[in-house]
Amino acid sequence: MSGILEVRDLHTQFDTLDGVVRAVDGLSFDLDRGETLGIVGESGCGKSVTALSILRLIPPETGRIASGSIRFEGEELTRLSEEAMKRLRGHRISMIFQEPMTSLNPVLTVGTQIAENVTRHLGVSKRAARERAHEMLDLVRIADARRRLDEYPHQLSGGMRQRVMIAMALSCDPQVLIADEPTTALDVTIQAQILDLMLDLKEKTGTAIVLITHDLGVVAETAQRVVVMYAGRRVEEAPVEALFDNPLHPYTRGLMAAIPRLDTDATRLQEIPGMVPLLTRPIVGCAFAARCPLATDRCRAEAPPVVDAGGGHTVACWEVTP
Amino acid sequence: MTVLAVDRLVKHFPIHGGLLQRQVGAVKAVDGISFDIAKGETLGLVGESGCGKSTVGKTILKLIEPTSGRIVLGGKDITALKPGAMWPHRKGIQTIFQDPYSSMNPRLPAGTIVGEPLENFGIARGRERDERVAALFERVGLRRDAMRKYAHEFSGGQRQRLGIAKALSVAPEVIVADEPVSALDVSVQAQVLNLLIDLQAEYGLAYLFISHDLAVMRHISHRIAVMYLGRIVELTDKRTLFARPLHPYTEALLSAATAPDPRRRRRRKAIVEGDVPSPADPPSGCHFHTRCPYAVAECKVKDPSLREVAPGHHVACHLR
Amino acid sequence: MVAITDDLPTRRFSLATAIRRNPTITFGAVLLILLIAIAIVGPSFVGDPLKIAPVYRLRPPSERWWFGTDQFGRDLFTRTIYGSRVSLIVGLSVAVTASVLGLAMGLLCGYFRALDAIVMRVMDGVMAIPSILLAIALITLTRPGLGIVIVAIVIPEVPRIVRVVRSVVLAIRAQPYIESAIAGGTRHVKLLWRHVLPNTLAPLIVQATYVCASAMLIEASLGFLGAGVPPEVPSWGNIIAQGRTFFQIAPWSILIPGGFLALTVLAVNLLGDGLRDRLDPRLARRL
Repeated sequence: MSGILEVRDLHTQFDTLDGVVRAVDGLSFDLDRGETLGIVGESGCGKSVTALSILRLIPPETGRIASGSIRFEGEELTRLSEEAMKRLRGHRISMIFQEPMTSLNPVLTVGTQIAENVTRHLGVSKRAARERAHEMLDLVRIADARRRLDEYPHQLSGGMRQRVMIAMALSCDPQVLIADEPTTALDVTIQAQILDLMLDLKEKTGTAIVLITHDLGVVAETAQRVVVMYAGRRVEEAPVEALFDNPLHPYTRGLMAAIPRLDTDATRLQEIPGMVPLLTRPIVGCAFAARCPLATDRCRAEAPPVVDAGGGHTVACWEVTP
Repeated sequence: MTVLAVDRLVKHFPIHGGLLQRQVGAVKAVDGISFDIAKGETLGLVGESGCGKSTVGKTILKLIEPTSGRIVLGGKDITALKPGAMWPHRKGIQTIFQDPYSSMNPRLPAGTIVGEPLENFGIARGRERDERVAALFERVGLRRDAMRKYAHEFSGGQRQRLGIAKALSVAPEVIVADEPVSALDVSVQAQVLNLLIDLQAEYGLAYLFISHDLAVMRHISHRIAVMYLGRIVELTDKRTLFARPLHPYTEALLSAATAPDPRRRRRRKAIVEGDVPSPADPPSGCHFHTRCPYAVAECKVKDPSLREVAPGHHVACHLR
Repeated sequence: MVAITDDLPTRRFSLATAIRRNPTITFGAVLLILLIAIAIVGPSFVGDPLKIAPVYRLRPPSERWWFGTDQFGRDLFTRTIYGSRVSLIVGLSVAVTASVLGLAMGLLCGYFRALDAIVMRVMDGVMAIPSILLAIALITLTRPGLGIVIVAIVIPEVPRIVRVVRSVVLAIRAQPYIESAIAGGTRHVKLLWRHVLPNTLAPLIVQATYVCASAMLIEASLGFLGAGVPPEVPSWGNIIAQGRTFFQIAPWSILIPGGFLALTVLAVNLLGDGLRDRLDPRLARRL
């Protein structure tokens, strides 16, 4: 297996009225060909900003990639021209968002929107592009695809719109699909349908997926490998079974104990006291130290090293000895 | 002791159309549901978006007027009460809202918002009110000096604590909690759920807990009602619901829910296909028949009533 | 006992940063304050705006007559300074009166829907008549004067305020904090006073600035048409109207008061635009 996407020491920052927000603060990870990588964390941990950084969609008026490298198939994306990025987006790397209604153009039919993406990147004829759009709607299992091609986004249900987004994202056979909370806005039964569809399509097309979510349940059921983020940093990374069987970082453990379970009647949920640190001040030491039950003076003073626990399981913590 | 009883509650929202804005139909948001809640009990109301669960909450609070049915709060029928006559009864039923960001007036300090019900019902004024509010702040885990702060100075979890403090201020019997933790992060969600459970034990509160999240439901509820397109399809205690769900929709919800367990994905059974139909034009007979894997001819024509199939276990399905 | 949670930081106010972040508001406000200062103290430093000196008719701007003179030899600098009083009095009184009336009607319409249907149809009717025509009609019914000009401009401006306030009230009514207050036993009067009213003020102030600017323009137009304040009163509209015939030989008599009018309207509009950007939470959150 070789890495198709390599992110190294990524720093993405935003200017706000309260100062510079270090949304992503030294993040590194690899994505292998054809794998599903879950990036999980709570709101404000920098997971969505990571996705926008990879696609170079950080609004230039307020934010920037301050340092670090993003290599896609050996090519350095941080130095690519905007023109070259435009050719890449929606073609070799594509993305689906949480709210499909706002990412589809309300005045164009879904067929036109998918076909446009195909013509733009593959330069095929209009007819062939429309044929491709039809094929894609079939692929995402939209019943009566021929008729749906001529419908507008508002005529579709939420689940159907997310299917259209997936169809559009996959229409040019991308090597990498970045899915940012793709099922968060959907109902449980629809979420299950979309997750199944995504896994199924991954098998068929071999597209590698970066799945960004706050929901440990979604990660557990879809990802092969998981990166846990906290305050813009990676605190733990492991194959999915290893992470859920044996979470090492106190934050990951805290999260797992805080989720209400479907299969047991826990009497009391474990709380993680306090709240996420402010990203406007540089964090000295471990970002989780202020909320961590194991924290020592060393944790508060010095950033923890990444410890290898074997089997691809790494953790950034002073107190955990694997 | 029953503190809240709801009997065949119906709420239809008229749809107006055409040039003269005549009524052309109705969204049957709530279509004849019945349940009761005892002192110190939590009844969970679970369902997907558009099933009418939030409308049930608002109707019971008399924030919207019911179309028909009966709502009995603490032995008093409040169904037909006009706003003025309803007012004294509001003390008995309070609410916690879903969105902690928009349920606080941005231009008032937190202490004023929390103390408003005390003032409204003439329970406490001036210094005494401030003292009571301070005590409430401390009870829900906020500092006294936070009383002077405004909404934007609090985090989501803290705002939800403020909402709880406000609801508690008039010592209600029933609290309607509409998705109180769904906007919160997991670690904060646990803090709020634990607080709600502690307060229930302390004050004997009855909760109507509305949520789409089955795992949260299992954690906080004693009994759970599953809603689909304006109707309750199954109602039973939580242990039975999770161990032996009878309605095919409950089964589908349980199998569709994700769990933090990577091995579970291989155990997942067939899930329901398709989308929820529109409540403005619900399917005939059993509303679920269009998506039900077990549906038979009878389901299309005959409306199943909610029957007690085992002690305390109610289900609306022809096949069970 | 639950854990006491941390707090978000409180922002401190500083005038320097406020100015740096709101250049439009600062510029508009400074310009407007300057013009108001001129209107208040200016007349005590200049002569009589009505003093006729036929010998010095239509003199161009010079060291003696900074803005030149008109066809009766009246000093245009003096007249323009006096004229700022008329414009600002009309603009501010119309803005304040229309806001108070519009706020009251808008609040009631937005809150009590039965009232809404009737009042809004009346407002639509008023809005269908061009405001200049309505004002001229009202003025011709009575004796011309500053008061009647203000009333005549207020009437067509009120519906604009009512519509804004009403739509804001409708949006506020749907907010969860209103439901939360009702569930907490808050009754009509207090609900309106404490929860609805304060949240309508920001958009109201913005709308009021636009009304102020528009009132000054209408006042000048009325003056120009000879339907405004009596011709002997030195208002900018009157000065322009009287200078019209001599535009080709004495263009300053129109350009200078016209420039002042434009500058005043610009100052008010800049202030309004700046306030809108600042007070609109959707726009503010972007920064």
